[in-house]
Amino acid sequence: MIQKKICMLGSFSVGKTSLVRRVITSEFNEKYHTSIGVKVDKKIFRVGDQDVTLVLWDIYGEDAFQKMQMSYLRGMSGYFMVADGTRRQTVDVALALQQKVAEAMGAIPFVFLLNKCDLADQWEVDPDDEKNISARGLTPLRTSAKTGENVEEAFVRLALAMLPK
Amino acid sequence: MEANAIFESFLAEQGLALFEYLGKGSFRPIGSFPSWLKQIWGEETARAKTVVLAERSPFLQNFLLDAEQFWNNKSSGAANSGNWIERGVDGVETPLEASALRLDGKKILLIRNFSSAFAEQTQWLQTARDSVLDHEQLLREIQKKEILLHCIIHDLSQPLSAMRGCFNCLTIGDLPPDLKPFVETGQRESYRQEQMIRGVLEAFSGDLPAQKKSQANEPPATADLAACARHAVRNFSAAFAEKRVRLQLDPKLDVSRQWLSVGDAPRIDRIFGNFLENAMRYSPQNTTVTVGVEEKGALLAAFVDDQGPGLPTDQSTGKLFALFAKGKDRPGKAGLGLYFCKMTVERWGGRIGAETRPSGGSRFWFCLPRAPISSLASAAEPNLPAANAQEEAAQQGVASPGKRRVGKAPRSLRILVADDTEINRELAMELLKARGHSTVGVADGRQALAALENARFDVVLMDEVMPEMNGLEATRAIRQKELASGRHQVIIGLSGNATKEDEKRCIEAGEDAYLSKPFDMHKLFQIIESSAPETAGEIIVPPPTTSSDSVAAHLARSAAGSKKLMQSLAISFLADAPKRIANIQSAIAQTNAELLATTAHALKGSVAIFGAAKAVAAARNLEAMGRAGNLEGAAGEFCTLENELSGVKRELLAIGAKSGKKSRPPRPATRKKRGK
Repeated sequence: MIQKKICMLGSFSVGKTSLVRRVITSEFNEKYHTSIGVKVDKKIFRVGDQDVTLVLWDIYGEDAFQKMQMSYLRGMSGYFMVADGTRRQTVDVALALQQKVAEAMGAIPFVFLLNKCDLADQWEVDPDDEKNISARGLTPLRTSAKTGENVEEAFVRLALAMLPK
Repeated sequence: MEANAIFESFLAEQGLALFEYLGKGSFRPIGSFPSWLKQIWGEETARAKTVVLAERSPFLQNFLLDAEQFWNNKSSGAANSGNWIERGVDGVETPLEASALRLDGKKILLIRNFSSAFAEQTQWLQTARDSVLDHEQLLREIQKKEILLHCIIHDLSQPLSAMRGCFNCLTIGDLPPDLKPFVETGQRESYRQEQMIRGVLEAFSGDLPAQKKSQANEPPATADLAACARHAVRNFSAAFAEKRVRLQLDPKLDVSRQWLSVGDAPRIDRIFGNFLENAMRYSPQNTTVTVGVEEKGALLAAFVDDQGPGLPTDQSTGKLFALFAKGKDRPGKAGLGLYFCKMTVERWGGRIGAETRPSGGSRFWFCLPRAPISSLASAAEPNLPAANAQEEAAQQGVASPGKRRVGKAPRSLRILVADDTEINRELAMELLKARGHSTVGVADGRQALAALENARFDVVLMDEVMPEMNGLEATRAIRQKELASGRHQVIIGLSGNATKEDEKRCIEAGEDAYLSKPFDMHKLFQIIESSAPETAGEIIVPPPTTSSDSVAAHLARSAAGSKKLMQSLAISFLADAPKRIANIQSAIAQTNAELLATTAHALKGSVAIFGAAKAVAAARNLEAMGRAGNLEGAAGEFCTLENELSGVKRELLAIGAKSGKKSRPPRPATRKKRGK
């Protein structure tokens, strides 16, 4: 069976762990529990006519309190760059981190996620921001770990991007 | 044996597991396999003599690449993996940490059970990140409040603009005498309303820290407390009369002298207003409210005495002036007014308070330091609305009332009025027509651009917030077109937003001057007529097309390549500039806004011939400050102007030197010796 390493990257409290939890166990916890350390999970996805095991590396958000080791990204086949649509600054962090990863690791498939799309009244990323993200070749996908919206779609999209054509 | 037992106990106690690397991914456990690791990887792994750890954990698989590199290259220190969470065969998650090190020449992998410290680290990291999130949320709330405040202020300003415009229009014609008091009252009250709106904006706007800082550096304003008291009595007389409460100035007050204190008249007016509103609310009919000023040692004390029930007993005096103070019998009042009074008075170094009078009723008072001697010459009762039309006319220097209230402008201008609010646009046009100007009105920035394509205008009055294209966007577009056309369009910005940041934004967009709404019509006339070009259709050379243009290059363009003209212009400027600069400096020193506007305007025009974009910008900013009557930052801007001009002068000296003529400073007048 094909096995691919995927990393969840982004600022803290954007929903990386919640997205993994949603896809692995279909659960969601409203309360924010910060991640320290790396957690690795596996999930088998059906992509087209083949099964793909995705090894999900849930990496804590880099901030003033914790620095991410780039060695965690070694061997990854793809990654999710996650931002919180209700906190505009996390988009900037994600864009900067994506550039850093691209410079260090080269052109690796990724999907840009604007998470927490269920919080429409708190949304801070306006259409112009999304256009700017798209203009950099990073077509964002709005997801919600809480409702599950587009979560499966996101993983399938990344899996397809990672598989040989 | 005993040592081994102690060693193994130590490892177990510390939650450590040691492995020796044998090569090719294989590890030998050192000592017994700890039970916590057994729970993670199972009995079978625990019983094995050697373990391929990379197969047990994807995280370790990744880290072992770093570990091997360390073992091969380094002999001291350690390579650390960072924390990771390993899920055991029983589903239990355990935090772990791995380190690669060399001991006695052996390649050792140490795996540590991080559980004991994990809880503590999680807690402080959770607290830290929750604090960051709370802080972010607080900033968002503050920002929302700021936006809401500005929207409210803007929305409040619009109808107030219309009201003031209507009152202004009413005063244009000959009013029947019985209607004049109503119009004058309406004008006064709309002015008060404007002051209240500005007070709210100042108190709650984010500009407040910057204002406080700038106010700390400014010399204090001064005001005549007795004059303010007189104004207050006059302003409130009608309202008190309606309530059948007598309002009087303290008979003991000596009105023949000045009672000069620190503070500015409009804010003191507001403090009196708050006190009088309070007195009016609690004074029974047929009682008297007295407003007065008295000496209080080094201070001057102003007071409002009423004959009402006295201070509420459910609150201390201190709490009365606190934010959101309410008495139990004051439903619906937010307690903002007295809080503003307290902030204002204390900022001036004064005190404020209230007490129940022994004879009954209450006294609300405030004390302020006396005005410094040096300020006595310029102490004023400035900018208070006139009590009657005659006084207002005297203030504004227009023809006496009873005849036409709006005098004709010295020169008729063509003015484009861009404002999306029809009533405000129509009123502005009406006022300008009464002044003798011709006007065209448009409803948005795009229409303004179109109008400018088809006709010439001396001045554009540009509202800021408009649909389709707002005022700032339109201004920028006009300035962009000027780079090719060589013609400068005078643009005066109008905005219901009234903070210094708003003003700065308008000037930075390229507007020549700025007026906040609701505006005074005479101020509108003054700004328009002093900003307009000297002659109709005057061509004013714009700033250079590129910022890297030298003075010589720009001068060459302006002089159409004529060297003789270039040299003549250079010499003329060098002779004239020192005096213009001295005039500006003098205007700033005297805090004479009007003089600053005219002198900066004059210098701007003469410097623009040489490009010198930064010098032109500095002159423009000074002119705008003068027109706005706000000289905050003028000294700094003057320094910028001087610095930029010194570069210009150097280049011009070189150009002038080529002609062989030198620009000489004007000789001081000397007495000729009489011949004997």
